[in-house]
Amino acid sequence: MSKMPTRLVVCALLLSLSAAAFASAPADAPIVDASALPAAAGPPTGLADSAALRATVFGTPPQDMAPLPETVPLSEINIALPWARPVPAVYWFDRRLRVWISAQKKPAPLAIVIAGTGGDGNTSKLSILRGALYAAGYHVLTMPSPTFPGFIVSTSSTGVSGDLMQDSRDLYAAIVQILAKLPRRIQITDIDILGYSLGGANAAVVKSIDAGEHKLHIHRALMINPPVSLIESVSRLDKLFVTSIGPDDAAVERLYRQLYAQLANLYRASDKVELDESFLLGAAASVLKTDAEYSAAIALSFRLNLVDMFFAADLYTGAGVVTNPRHPPKVGDSLENAARRLRSMPFAAYFSRVFAPYYLKHRANATSASQIADNRLDIIADALRTDGDYYALTNSDDLILDAPELRWLQDTLGPRIVVYDHGGHLGNLGDRQQVKDMLEMLAGRWNLPAL
Amino acid sequence: MESARAVSTPRLIQLAVASLLLGSLAGCASQSVEIRSLPPDTPAADNAAAALIATELAGALASESASTASAKDAAAPPLVTPADAPSMATYDPWARLNRFTYRFNARFDEAVFLRVANGYRRLPSPLRSGVHNFFGNLAEVDNIINYVLQARPIRGLRSAARLLINSTIGIGGLIDVAKQIKLPAAPTGVSATLATWGVHPGPYLVIPLVGPSTLRDGIGLVGDFGAAHAVNLANLYRGNESWYLEGVNLVDQRANVDFRYYASGSPFEYETLRFLYVRKRLIEDSGLRKFAQPRPARPEVPAGE
Repeated sequence: MSKMPTRLVVCALLLSLSAAAFASAPADAPIVDASALPAAAGPPTGLADSAALRATVFGTPPQDMAPLPETVPLSEINIALPWARPVPAVYWFDRRLRVWISAQKKPAPLAIVIAGTGGDGNTSKLSILRGALYAAGYHVLTMPSPTFPGFIVSTSSTGVSGDLMQDSRDLYAAIVQILAKLPRRIQITDIDILGYSLGGANAAVVKSIDAGEHKLHIHRALMINPPVSLIESVSRLDKLFVTSIGPDDAAVERLYRQLYAQLANLYRASDKVELDESFLLGAAASVLKTDAEYSAAIALSFRLNLVDMFFAADLYTGAGVVTNPRHPPKVGDSLENAARRLRSMPFAAYFSRVFAPYYLKHRANATSASQIADNRLDIIADALRTDGDYYALTNSDDLILDAPELRWLQDTLGPRIVVYDHGGHLGNLGDRQQVKDMLEMLAGRWNLPAL
Repeated sequence: MESARAVSTPRLIQLAVASLLLGSLAGCASQSVEIRSLPPDTPAADNAAAALIATELAGALASESASTASAKDAAAPPLVTPADAPSMATYDPWARLNRFTYRFNARFDEAVFLRVANGYRRLPSPLRSGVHNFFGNLAEVDNIINYVLQARPIRGLRSAARLLINSTIGIGGLIDVAKQIKLPAAPTGVSATLATWGVHPGPYLVIPLVGPSTLRDGIGLVGDFGAAHAVNLANLYRGNESWYLEGVNLVDQRANVDFRYYASGSPFEYETLRFLYVRKRLIEDSGLRKFAQPRPARPEVPAGE
């Protein structure tokens, strides 16, 4: 058994290939419904230029990162939620919601941080934010995105993720339950909420829900690189997939063959004895060099998240797109065909075949157009405009926004938004300036007149 | 009285092991909330590691571009083309059994293995790296044998030098001195030897406690285990103590792997890992046989067969 590790290592490493090379940022692209409706105007990359795409894929350079603490105490909380729906057999491992908490030893404010699309409650981006917030004296609770399969199964009241209001309601209810079950030694003096990408939009909507229900008294909310229209943002990613990879499964296979050959040649040219993490990171740097390659990585990573959302919703609603509602898959059944069919389906297909039919049926007076309007930050525009406790950080070259959307954010939030020149989508998360601004906003020190 | 006690101690151990196993199989979803303390997060060290890799990468890219011209003249291995890539399907004739074993591994890991490994991760890091180096040093015996069988004498000599240096100056292998004098570890094994001589990975195989593998890699594991016992370096592999040794080795291995079953939350995790594992091994195989006649690409044949 002396070499057992390699096997597991491999898995971890290769998962991180999809996660590191491809997913670095994209795992958090925005979400939700797009479809038969207005295809996003303009280029699929929104406001992004080449540098922005690169930053989106590779993230903040280590040397630009804000100082982070050596160690941060960490516990995980696995919680069964009373309203959970019956769990489909193939999701046997997702019965309980898993979140992570880092508690201060003394009374302190709590920062709740929500991941971007498809992310669990312990992504590397959350780890960066956790470090910065904990060092600044917060208890930190990190939560998965409502689009993460573990959340959909354990916490969603619908099984159909991607609706801004419904997802945020589920998130709010889960937070109420979690805070009620925290050990008494964790003393909370105030509650702030933040999130990146789609998680940013979720965070702001959760605060607005709390403003009506008063269960938590959330103080400040901060959105980091949020989408404005979920549908427009996602349409951009659909379009990016088609332009950078192609429309069908043959295109996915072509991309796979190219990548395989590139990795094999790099490996054969090296004298490495194992295809390990450092090799993969190096390979990512030399395989991903052009705008088309950055775009393919971003689009593919988003698509892999979509496959999971789509499958769960198909199963929960009995839509029958890739599963048979009469004979749902059992534990141990092969899901290969479902995965293969889903990976060539765009978000527009999710919207038109599962999402829209479900909400048309369950929501009075809903129409396709109203669903699109309901998935814009406009639904909380009044609060964003008038309540001084909402903040945002974003970049002028974020690929999930276009110029009018960015202007809308600036008009709505006024002095409570910072727009950096560079960074793409989350490509400056954790850098010195960003962390400094984040902490000032959350502490209520933002834009105070100098004394 | 004395003899009764002598009998009961191993009994107690057996009972403890049995109850751990039972606990793992019964699942642990009895309470509505479970809070589990984890080893601390280390954001500063993570970022430092990323910075280090970035620096090494920049250096490697620079020296690579400098040496490309000369390397091309020397007999360069033929390039792999996209058409040479294996099918996206994977050869998995034992899928039913494999999926069952995967689920068992996930439950066992969650209930026992990972908990023990997380406890181990709280030990001081010099202690842990000493343990890790110690087992890495023992593995050099197997590396030497296999590099010889692969007809790669230079690599074999390197492993022998590492064994010699680390066992002496490195205090029985606790310190990897050889790495500091530019002789980094280059682990290999029976599976790599088989691959060198053209044996295909064969059917995908999930091994209990070990995880994703292939038939050839499984045979390789048994071979590595057998070789270590046959050589029996420093008489470490005889008697009951050897089981403790293997136990510590397993925990050390697990603690060094940043993987958690179903952290993806995805029902496709089995398919994803199988896909990635087999492609990784095939690329590594092609690195071992750089100049061999490439197999004719047959897209209808699943990868690994």
